[in-house]
This record gives sequence, structure tokens and C-alpha cells, in this order.
Amino acid sequence: MAETGRLRQAAITSPLLSPVTLVRLAIIAGVLVLWETIAASGWLYRDVVPSLLAIGRAIIALLSSPEYYWHLGVTAGEIGAALTIGGLSGLLVGLVLGGSRFMGKAFEPYLYYLGPTPKIIFFPIMIMWFGVGPASKVALGTMSCFFPIALSVAAGMRQIDPVLIRVGRSFRLKQWQMAWKIYLPAMRHPIINGVRLGLGVALIGTLLAETKLSNRGIGFLIIQAYSLFDMPRMYAMLIVLFILSIGANALIGRLGGLDSIKRL
Amino acid sequence: MSVASMATTHTAKTSAQDSAGLLVLDDLSKRFPTPEGTVVAVDHVSLSVKQGEFFSVIGPSGCGKSTLFNVIGGLISEYEGNVTVAGERITGPHPSVGMVFQEESTFPWRTVIENVSFPLEIEGMPKAKRYEKARHFIHMVGLDGFENRYPSELSGGMRQRVSLARTLASEPKILLMDEPFAALDEQTRLLLGDKVLQIQEELKQTTMLITHNITEAVQLSDRIMVMTYRPGKVKRVVDINLPRPRTSEIVGSDAFGHYVAQIWTDLREEASRGLTEDEGRRVTRATR
Ligand SMILES: Nc1ncnc2c1ncn2[C@@H]1O[C@H](COP(=O)(O)OP(=O)(O)O)[C@@H](O)[C@H]1O
Ligand SMILES: [Mg+2]
Repeated sequence: MAETGRLRQAAITSPLLSPVTLVRLAIIAGVLVLWETIAASGWLYRDVVPSLLAIGRAIIALLSSPEYYWHLGVTAGEIGAALTIGGLSGLLVGLVLGGSRFMGKAFEPYLYYLGPTPKIIFFPIMIMWFGVGPASKVALGTMSCFFPIALSVAAGMRQIDPVLIRVGRSFRLKQWQMAWKIYLPAMRHPIINGVRLGLGVALIGTLLAETKLSNRGIGFLIIQAYSLFDMPRMYAMLIVLFILSIGANALIGRLGGLDSIKRL
Repeated sequence: MSVASMATTHTAKTSAQDSAGLLVLDDLSKRFPTPEGTVVAVDHVSLSVKQGEFFSVIGPSGCGKSTLFNVIGGLISEYEGNVTVAGERITGPHPSVGMVFQEESTFPWRTVIENVSFPLEIEGMPKAKRYEKARHFIHMVGLDGFENRYPSELSGGMRQRVSLARTLASEPKILLMDEPFAALDEQTRLLLGDKVLQIQEELKQTTMLITHNITEAVQLSDRIMVMTYRPGKVKRVVDINLPRPRTSEIVGSDAFGHYVAQIWTDLREEASRGLTEDEGRRVTRATR
């Protein structure tokens, strides 16, 4: 009984034999075949669906162009700055709202309503305040990631097991020790979750702003390729961007996931 | 001070002026204002726990045991009367008092050894030294080999032992425990009782154990205070004159049975009062 269970388990986890894996591979293969068929058929307007070969060549050209890395650096810097500013202020505001019933009750409704609003509507104002350069993109990215981080930190703070705080008090921890050794580690999951959500929206906010009005960055390159009708290059950039953001998300998830296995 | 020098007073009220008392409660009361009126959780309790003594407080649920625990531990700083440790009035958590909580209280993000060495880390002790010391206490509670496990990888009984070791590592003069084994099954509880007895033999620390389990109280204590149900007053203080060192085998002896029966007589009145009052409240709430 246990033996067959283990065998079945092995069949599911084995990557080669698993029917799930086969279906997944079939889906990818199907999409690629369909894509190539459409590209070769000439049904659609010229180059709207470029051939896989053209896209592959464009990816290689992209990855070997120093100019691309310069723009990638600009965008990464903007997102990094947005995540740092938005993340730290979100953490701070979240701690205050989560720590004080009064502050939470007074301010959180605003965060809940402002949080899901698309921040791009504030972009014209950001341009007036910060100009067309990276600063307005950072501002928009910051606005985007501040809300989810602040809200999940505030919620996380309220979920801390009160007995852990009593343990801290009984060992006579000072305020900073309380924050550093109990509150922050007890909240690591909501914090990492907040940062993950924050990264996603900071990415969207920054890139969207770059496509609207800018002279550098990945969003700018994409919209430039689009207006020059260089479809293979545009697809190449989208694919690389897609892979990069999946990687970044997985990295943050891994930071949180590793010890979540060992948690209750 | 040795355990053997225990005075045996048969009065319910212990003299608060007893000079040998390390922990002294003098006419302690604690009221909680609530929307439905004031709840008197602890009502004029006086007692004195001597150096090295194992003192238990027993009473039905809701009689004010945890309130007593929190006042002595300094987590409730507003109270009436006086609570002193070695003559100093308790106004907040006292360095000589270590607390073990009823709830699961290990830090889930820390391994066993990181949990146990926590109070030493707070004191600023270097890592090598505090780990060495922590290992000693991990051994004492019988968790050798589990130093690098996380609490989630341990059973409930093992986690309570981690909490106990963590508190012992801070080397408190007085060990306060609030129903530390309440959530455990009877066998585990008896065996952990043995561990506590061994530790008591070795460290000779003064201990106040809060419990609602008569067997546990008799197995471990030199004296047991029975509390009344609401308001929490002292009903009786019973001396347990069972030989030491003890193990859980004593549970089968006649003398043990005699003490259990005696305490149960006192406790039954209170427990059944608690039960009927609870039911009464439930009925009035339901009919409202
Ligand atoms: N913070 C509080 N506010 C109001 N009432 C409380 C508070 N803490 C305890 N009580 C009440 O005091 C009584 C004693 O509680 P507690 O000390 O927890 O009892 P026990 O630990 O013996 O079960 C209960 O009636 C409880 O509802
Ligand atoms: Mg209690």
C-alpha cells in the first residue's frame, strides 16, 4: 500500500514521465507552431506577427547591443529607486498604522481606496513636478508600490502573535530590540509579500510612464520600436522583459519561501 | 536556603511579613473595568514564597490565575496592594523573574538554540559563549540533538520545553509558569513533570506554577494554594509533605491520593460554582 503510494508519488514528481509536464510542453509547442504558421501565412499585415527566426535574431541583436544595457540600467535604476523609497516609506507608514489602533482607523480607509487606483492618471502631475527625466518615473513607481507595502505591513503587524510581544517584554527588551528582534522577524512574510506586490506594480508604473513620455529606458525603447514598426525588436524586448521580471519575482519569492517551509 | 527548611504553616493566610519570603504578595487585588462593570480578578491575596520553594496556584478557569501571573511578572503594572521580589516592589518586568507562558511562545523563525540563547543575546553575550550556555539548558530539558531544528519541526511538548529552557537561560531567581503543560496529553505532562522535578533539584530555583491540574500540582509542589472562583481569593494553602527527590511514580502512592482528594474537595466547590455561573450567564445571554 505504502509502496504503491510512493511509486505514484514518484510518477507525479518525475519530470519526464509526468503527464502534466507533457501537457505543458505540448501547449508551448502548439503556441510556437501556431505562431510560426500565422507568421508564414501572410494573413496579417506585414510583420505584425514576425517569424520566430526573426524574433530570435532580434533577441541576439538586442542582447549584444551596449545601448540596450544602458537603457535597461536606467529602467532598473528607476524601479530600484522606486522600490527603495516606496518600500521604506510603506514600511514606516505600515508600522505606524499597524501599531496604533487610532492611526489605523483614521488613515487606512484612504489607503484602501487610493491603493487600487491606477497611478498613471497622476503622471501628468508628476511630469510637472519632476520633469520628463527619470525622476517622474521614479515618482510614479514609488506611488505604485507604496500602497501595497504599507497595507500588508499594517495587516502583518496586527497578526503578530501577542504572546511573542509579552515574551519580549518579560525579557525586558528595549524598544529597538523589540522592533528588530520581534516585530520585523515576526512580520517577514507579510513584508516580503508586500515587496513582491510592490515590485510588480512599481514595474508597471515605471514602464508605463516610460512609454508615455520619456527619452530613455526600456519603455521608451519599446515604444520607439513600435513607432518605427520594428516588430521583431519589439517582441524581443517584451520577451526579455518578461523573463527578467519573472526572475526578479522568483528571487524575492525565494527569500520568503525558503524559511516559510520551516515555519509553522 | 534549602528546600528542607520549609516551614509548615497550616493557616490559609500566610504572613506577608515573613522575612524569609523571596516573593511576597501583600493584600494584592486587581480589578478590570469592563463595559458590563468591574471584574475583580484577584481579591486581597496575600502569600509569601520562600527561597527555593515550589509553590503552586490551583483554581478553576477564569478565577484569576493568569492575572496573578501577569502582575507578578510585571506585565500588569497597575494593581492594588504590594508585590515584592527580594523586597523590591514590582512595577514592571523584574530581572529576577522569568516567565513561561501558557500559549505557544517559541519564536518560529529561530532554531532551538537561537530561541534558548535569546535572553543571552539581549544581554549582549558573545555568540560562542551564549551557545555554550544555551546547550547546557537544552540538555537540561532533554532536547540534545534538536539544537538546529525549527519549532515547527517539534512536537507541542518539545516546544514547551524550548520555552522553559529559554526562560531558564536567563537564570531567573524566580521561575513563573502559567499552565505550561495545559495543552499536552496526560503522559507527556507527567514525564515533563519529572523533568521539572530534576531541574528543580539541580537549580534550586524558586518556582511558582499556575495550573488547573491537581495531579500536576501535587506531583511537583511543596505548597499549593487553592483559589476561589470569582473573585479570586485564597481558599486554602496546603502543605505537601511528600519526600524529595520525587518522580512521577509517586502518583500511585496513598499519600499522593490523599492530597489529591483533599484538594479536589476544595476545588470541586469552586469549579462547580464556576460552571453554574458560566451556564447562568449563557442562559441569560440566550434569553436576552
Ligand atoms: N484585560 C482584562 N480585561 C478585563 N477582564 C479581564 C482581563 N484579563 C482577565 N480578565 C477577567 O478576569 C478574570 C480572571 O481571568 P484570568 O486571570 O485569565 O483567569 P485564569 O487564568 O484563572 O483562567 C476573568 O473573568 C477574565 O475575564
Ligand atoms: Mg489562565
